[in-house]
Amino acid sequence: MLATYLQALVSGLAIGGIYALIALSFSITFTTTKTLNFAQGEFIGVGAFLGVTILYALSASGDAGSFAALSPAASGGFSYPVAAAVVGAVLGTLGILLFLAAIRPFAGKPGMSWVMSTIGFGIILQSLGLAVWGPAPVNMPSPFGDDVMRLGGAGVRPQEIVVLTVAVLLMVALDLVMRRTRMGKAMRAVAYSPQVAALMGINVTLVMAGAFALSSALAGIGGVLVAPVASASLFMGMGIALKAFSGAIMGGLDNPRGCIFGGFALGLLEAGVALWQAQWREIAIFALIILVLAIRPNGLFGARTLDKV
Amino acid sequence: MTGTFDFGSYRTGRRALGKAALGSLLASPALLGRKAWAQEVIKLGFNGDLSASPSAQSGRAAVVGIQAALEDLEKEGGVLGRRLSLTIRDDLSQPPKSIQNMSDLIDNEKVAAVLGPTNSGNALAWRHIPNQKRIPVMGCIGSATDITKPVRTGADNYMFRVGSVDRTQVVSLMAYAKKNPRTGKIGFLTETTGYGQGGLKDLQEVAEAQGLTAVASEKFNVNDTDMTSQLAKLRSAGVETALVWAQGTPIGQLMRSMDKIGYFPIVLTSWAADNLSFINASGPQLAEKPIFLRTVSEDRTPHQQAFFDRIRPRLDADSAFSFAVHGYDGTMLLARAMQQAGSTDGASVRAALEDLRGTLQGYAKTYERPFSKTEHEALTAADQRWTCWRNGKLAAFSDDVVAGLQPGDFKG
Amino acid sequence: MRHVLLAVLLAAAAALAAAFVTNDFYLRILFNICIYLLCASGMNVLLGFAGQKSLGQAGLFAAGAYGVALLTTSWDLGPWLALLLATGIAAACGVLIAAPSLRVRGPSLAMVTLAFGIVVEKLVTEASDIFGGAMGIYAIKPLTLNGDPLTMQQWVWLGILLCLGLHLLLRNLLTGRFGRAFLSLQADEIAAAAVGVSVHRYKVLAFVIAATTCGLAGALVAQQNQYINSDFITFNLSIFILLLVLFGGAGSLAGPVLGAVTLTLLSALLARWSWIEHFVQGALLLFALYAMPKGLAGVLAGLRRSGTSTAPRKAAEPDLQARLPTRPDDASPVAPLLTAQGVSKSYGGVRPARDIAALLTRGHIHALIGPNGAGKSTFINILSGVVRPDDGDIRFRDTPLGRISPHAICGLGVARTFQNLRLFRELSVQDNVLLGQHARMRNGFLASLLGLPASRREEAAARKRVTEILRFLGLSELAQQTAGSLPYGLQRRVELARALATEPYLLLLDEPAAGLNPQETAELGELLLRIREQGVTILLVEHHMDLVMAISDHVIVLDYGEKIAEGTPAQVQADARVTAAYLGVEEAPEAALELSLAGKP
Repeated sequence: MLATYLQALVSGLAIGGIYALIALSFSITFTTTKTLNFAQGEFIGVGAFLGVTILYALSASGDAGSFAALSPAASGGFSYPVAAAVVGAVLGTLGILLFLAAIRPFAGKPGMSWVMSTIGFGIILQSLGLAVWGPAPVNMPSPFGDDVMRLGGAGVRPQEIVVLTVAVLLMVALDLVMRRTRMGKAMRAVAYSPQVAALMGINVTLVMAGAFALSSALAGIGGVLVAPVASASLFMGMGIALKAFSGAIMGGLDNPRGCIFGGFALGLLEAGVALWQAQWREIAIFALIILVLAIRPNGLFGARTLDKV
Repeated sequence: MTGTFDFGSYRTGRRALGKAALGSLLASPALLGRKAWAQEVIKLGFNGDLSASPSAQSGRAAVVGIQAALEDLEKEGGVLGRRLSLTIRDDLSQPPKSIQNMSDLIDNEKVAAVLGPTNSGNALAWRHIPNQKRIPVMGCIGSATDITKPVRTGADNYMFRVGSVDRTQVVSLMAYAKKNPRTGKIGFLTETTGYGQGGLKDLQEVAEAQGLTAVASEKFNVNDTDMTSQLAKLRSAGVETALVWAQGTPIGQLMRSMDKIGYFPIVLTSWAADNLSFINASGPQLAEKPIFLRTVSEDRTPHQQAFFDRIRPRLDADSAFSFAVHGYDGTMLLARAMQQAGSTDGASVRAALEDLRGTLQGYAKTYERPFSKTEHEALTAADQRWTCWRNGKLAAFSDDVVAGLQPGDFKG
Repeated sequence: MRHVLLAVLLAAAAALAAAFVTNDFYLRILFNICIYLLCASGMNVLLGFAGQKSLGQAGLFAAGAYGVALLTTSWDLGPWLALLLATGIAAACGVLIAAPSLRVRGPSLAMVTLAFGIVVEKLVTEASDIFGGAMGIYAIKPLTLNGDPLTMQQWVWLGILLCLGLHLLLRNLLTGRFGRAFLSLQADEIAAAAVGVSVHRYKVLAFVIAATTCGLAGALVAQQNQYINSDFITFNLSIFILLLVLFGGAGSLAGPVLGAVTLTLLSALLARWSWIEHFVQGALLLFALYAMPKGLAGVLAGLRRSGTSTAPRKAAEPDLQARLPTRPDDASPVAPLLTAQGVSKSYGGVRPARDIAALLTRGHIHALIGPNGAGKSTFINILSGVVRPDDGDIRFRDTPLGRISPHAICGLGVARTFQNLRLFRELSVQDNVLLGQHARMRNGFLASLLGLPASRREEAAARKRVTEILRFLGLSELAQQTAGSLPYGLQRRVELARALATEPYLLLLDEPAAGLNPQETAELGELLLRIREQGVTILLVEHHMDLVMAISDHVIVLDYGEKIAEGTPAQVQADARVTAAYLGVEEAPEAALELSLAGKP
């Protein structure tokens, strides 16, 4: 029985790491622009497929198997980190495109039109992805093999540890960047007040575009991280993004650390509910979100916003 | 997909589809003189998912098979001296879209028969339309048992199928489970989609008919990647044989979760385990665990091999071959029935299908009076082939239990 | 009336067309148009008028569809009764989704509605014992006429009838008191409450209207098809319903019609290239909003209105004969209008109100002055219910105001303006002022929905009173102008008009002269005196000391949340503590007050 709980804990932490990472990516754009990307799920899926494509291209010479079933060798050496880095760069660029096409025309205006425009951007992206890669899921090998390791009775795959480690490292690094560097300070200044930041000589548009680039890059890297666990699919991102969004809202969108906490909490909660009745997971989680927001409209750790009258 | 990633073939496939759609548009009576064409061309329709969900590749394979059949019929001089054409509608696996397409094909395009759909749930959503309008439908992908059931007992039923039937497969798998001395307690694991839940209903009913009771029944989502908690429950209930009804990827994930907690019961699964997506998800070692049934064996006869070689370039994946076979055979059976009826009138074709004379050598089997008034399934328990994965390839499966199965064991 | 005629003619034409169509496919498309029009019409109230984005409408569609499915199969009810009850179930679910939505805004509101949609979607998928999951529910009873199931043609006629009925009802509702109240929610909830609109009630009402029509559409689909399964209920459906409204034109009566017709036809036309259809939907979401923010309806209206004349930008001379509408006050004229005792408020360490006591006399102009951060605005906010005091007792005409919400306080006869102008910028001047009349109008939901004579009488009376107020303030010429387009000074005056339209006993003015030039300030002074003559008591927060000293009967001085002095203007000017508060040193009061004036932005 203990092993079962331990297994749930491990599973929850691994998936929670991804939720936390994506939740953080929501927080990054929300704090700077008061908008976020409702197509983050599609970004995750595209990131995963792009990762597979890069691994395939890198290993085209050797015996790497087919595109849909890359052999473990394809992820060996530096291939996997290189793929992750390239995906981060490409998706980051895509994020800037998203900002220019779907956010900038609507940001700061009433009516939240950006919700619809980012959803539209995502639909287009998914359609393109389907046209290029097709709807079938494909496999991405983990760089450290696929053999189950035992941790006190619970089974863990190397990739789950990779997911958790990389996610935590990225989050710590971003936390430092936001608090210590000039760029981080500029982002926080824009978050506080775009007008004041502009007066201080900060290029507000650039910072906002940067926030979207960073957020989208995180989504892409998230996709590359989970693909070996979940197999890459253009539809896999939706569920992850939704739960990450829930985690972010629960933790408080304007509080990056709260978002990370919310992501992990949701992962653990999910694993916990699965112990009871796996198929009621989503219902339990989203019902809880509604409840949390009904009681604390700004999330557990969100700042209370006051309307100045 | 053997060897390399076949980027080109997918695209030609898509282009071929586009062309077919365009062709059917150009051939539509509205654009060309109505009378001349209406007499010459017999229109068939296809309504199913071709692009939106992971099962779309099955839909595309079926279309490849149907088109191959049309080519062959063309060479034979058509049916009733008329050419045949295929009008394709993609339903994106959405029921409302599927219903609209069905009406489009039957009321607007005036097709003589429809093939498809890809997803069983959509067939259930629109099957009242062909039944009302008396247009025969030949299922070749979706395998839910209920699809071919008449609305009321005795009512004229226009839903036929050349393809896998969940019920038939469940009966065989359950017989295996019952016969196997190592079976012990059985448990069910099903996906929460229509496919999985339809299968669960069959599993429960067949188990009861064969006098077995499941000690555990757990569900998972099609996108789940971690089923350890469900498996832990099966294990604590002492399940030694698990019957699994789900699509390829989640069965693959299930095997990985079994690996995680080191729990390996005998695994009998739905035929979706023949899908490439299954072995992609599970990896080649774990893929060897499940036993399942297919309509087309991997030991292809020369006849089948020739067909395989012919259409291979147009398929997304080797494992989708069986859908092409179903599409091909279904089209041929429809053509034969039209020939026999001497018309394309739906009611006559249905009557002819239910009483088809002579034999037809298809690619799944040789059909001899495949349907009757009450039996609308062309492929039955006897046409199922025990299959498993070995060394990354599909292989025929056989053990003492399979060898010892008697016709009387197939109950339910 | 032209609108009604046009709608009836359109519906009749569609019905007639359906009578001659024998192709069931075309009938089905017509039916689909009706279904989506039903969804869109309700959604338009929620999104286009009340301004609430719901990403979970599929859940309400499901409530109707599964309601009718279960009622006709498990409960064996008749199809018509089931349709009615299922619509009611959906309406109840609307309350359910509205309740948590009342407290959240922005992305969190999107999340709550999204989560609601997902919970319903998962519920009908997972609870397969009840809802049949993806295998669905069969044998749903179709609607019948004389015992026979409706034919496709009859379904279309029913659809058209329902759409026409709904359209006309919503038109009644939205062109009057209720439509304005919904619009005010979208524009500014705090201002809406300040003019007497119950924010909660109207939000719930908007959600319920959207839920009802979506549920009705869902129930019709289930009955027409006699089958429903969980694959019908997807996030895509929720998005599509939103797109119908946004593409057609949110906030326009014609919008849903345009959206439903165009998008359904587009989807039918693109059916043979379905992957393009998906793409087109994405492109529409992305670019339609950009290219035509007001949808197709906005584009069409723009074409029609291309040659409007230049509108006046100046106020006319106020009509000195005009009379403000007021409520009779039967209390003794010498009894205080409002008394406040020990009012305190703190935010953490900051305490903008400490133990304040005040007494407002009927028919007086009271001024509240003090340096920046003295707590003047907080006191106004407490009196108008926007801020709840931690402690203290406030009585207005003998009614305690302690726990009363802002819209109810407005209803009691306290009106206010805001320091940073809170006009409904997109609405016309007339509509802004008509919103002031909101709480004074007596026509209820049903009367408005059905367009009963009572509701028309109320509307006409309100318009008459508004015309009088506009004349009183010299705004008559500007009545049809968009409030946000006016010069700043005039916007201030429109806000004053809106507050007066609530027919207050007490008018709270938060820096009414801020941003006005000296001439405008002088005119304002005249105006305030005229308002007092009409029997309205005024409490104004102001930094223009000339104005305060010229018109006030009584001045209260606050500093650091405490009352440091009060009395006639002359008494206050002579008070040493006031001087100290303003400058921190003992100096001549006049100089100090002028300095503080210069410091204001």
